[in-house]
Amino acid sequence: MEQFIHPLVLYTACILGAAGICLALPRRAGGPQLIGAFIAAAAGGIAILAMSLKAGPAALPSIYFYIFAAVALGGALRVITHPRPVYAALYFILTIIATAGLFLILSAEFMAFALIIVYAGAILITYLFVIMLAMQAPAEGEVEVLTEYDTKAREPLAATVAGFLLLAVLTTMMFRGTAEIAPVATAAQVDSLLDDLPRKVERVLENHNMLEEGEKLALAAPDGGPAIDGAAGIIWVEGGAEPRIIERADWPEEMSVKNIEGLGFNLLRDHPGTIEIAGVILLMAMLGAVVLSRKQVQMDEEAKMRQARLLSGDTSGEAGA
Amino acid sequence: MNTMTDLTHLLAQTGFPDSMGSATLAHYLFVSAAMFAIGLIGFVSRRNLIIMFLCTELMFQAAGIALIAFGRFHLDFTGQTFVIFVLTVAAAEAAMALALVVLLFRRKESLDAGEWAELKG
Repeated sequence: MEQFIHPLVLYTACILGAAGICLALPRRAGGPQLIGAFIAAAAGGIAILAMSLKAGPAALPSIYFYIFAAVALGGALRVITHPRPVYAALYFILTIIATAGLFLILSAEFMAFALIIVYAGAILITYLFVIMLAMQAPAEGEVEVLTEYDTKAREPLAATVAGFLLLAVLTTMMFRGTAEIAPVATAAQVDSLLDDLPRKVERVLENHNMLEEGEKLALAAPDGGPAIDGAAGIIWVEGGAEPRIIERADWPEEMSVKNIEGLGFNLLRDHPGTIEIAGVILLMAMLGAVVLSRKQVQMDEEAKMRQARLLSGDTSGEAGA
Repeated sequence: MNTMTDLTHLLAQTGFPDSMGSATLAHYLFVSAAMFAIGLIGFVSRRNLIIMFLCTELMFQAAGIALIAFGRFHLDFTGQTFVIFVLTVAAAEAAMALALVVLLFRRKESLDAGEWAELKG
């Protein structure tokens, strides 16, 4: 059976990484945090490089993968080891941006930018607000001290053992199965989305001067079939001397289905209604957040009466009293 | 236009409609699994409530990487659609969690998760 990485190398890297993270977690006495972080980084590097060496030069991911993966994992390590919450949140933003880079390499441009806008732009800012709301400011002239719960991890050994057991099991099972799966779709099947994009097809043909005088996209093929058959790679044009076919080999590069087009079709045609459900989830979360964080004000009877009068704009009661 | 396509070529794994090999997929899955494990360790071992929730977001990210890598491998956009919903749930979770954190902080004036140990009964 094909393996992506030798199990011994994988488990050694896991043990090394566990030792590194265990050392790197914050503790009271200071401790060898930096050394731990280096060991953990080395373990991750060993695992990925061993995998790349085994895969051979033909199947390697692009060089940007290694850069973004290193930044993402390093940022993640810093999120859980930094004693100051504000820095942890900032390192999380770094992780997000590196992850967006990984998405770009995976040709998921829309998700990459949505990730940066939604996560780094909205969610993390909320986190920073709450962190700053919930920190005790140091008194005048005093140096800020870190709280005890930030500087001392709870059960670092048990936590890392649990985490790396999970990682070892996950990677073992994934690498066993991944070698045997085959892609379900081919490039031709992605192009079948063009069947529903006649305006785009016509515009691209016009832009690249592939239509002769008077020619336009056919309404239907001469045999009555569809004018565009993306899966078969055929486009019919008519209006010239005779209807003719433009084959896939002649298509300009601009013709290929873009990420945003494919995602739009998938989201709104193949899974209609899910957007509504997402909207309901967000609405419920908003209501919940408002109800939860509302401050309850204690008032005695007289204060309530005064407030009610004030709100109704009625001052006659006060004059009477 | 030309620089744009050059840039896309430079960045993209291969030209988009070509599928990538399963060895490349394994690289992404490893990154995803490692990030998930780091998030889990942080959630279990850190005591600051806000950092704990940051670690759950880290685990969401890891799941997102795996979903998009599989979507790219199968040339199927459903993986990306799913990540949109992961983002939605993450946003909803962040709103609720931070509201709870503010509530808990008002009660005990501390973000220590250990302060609430009596909840375990």
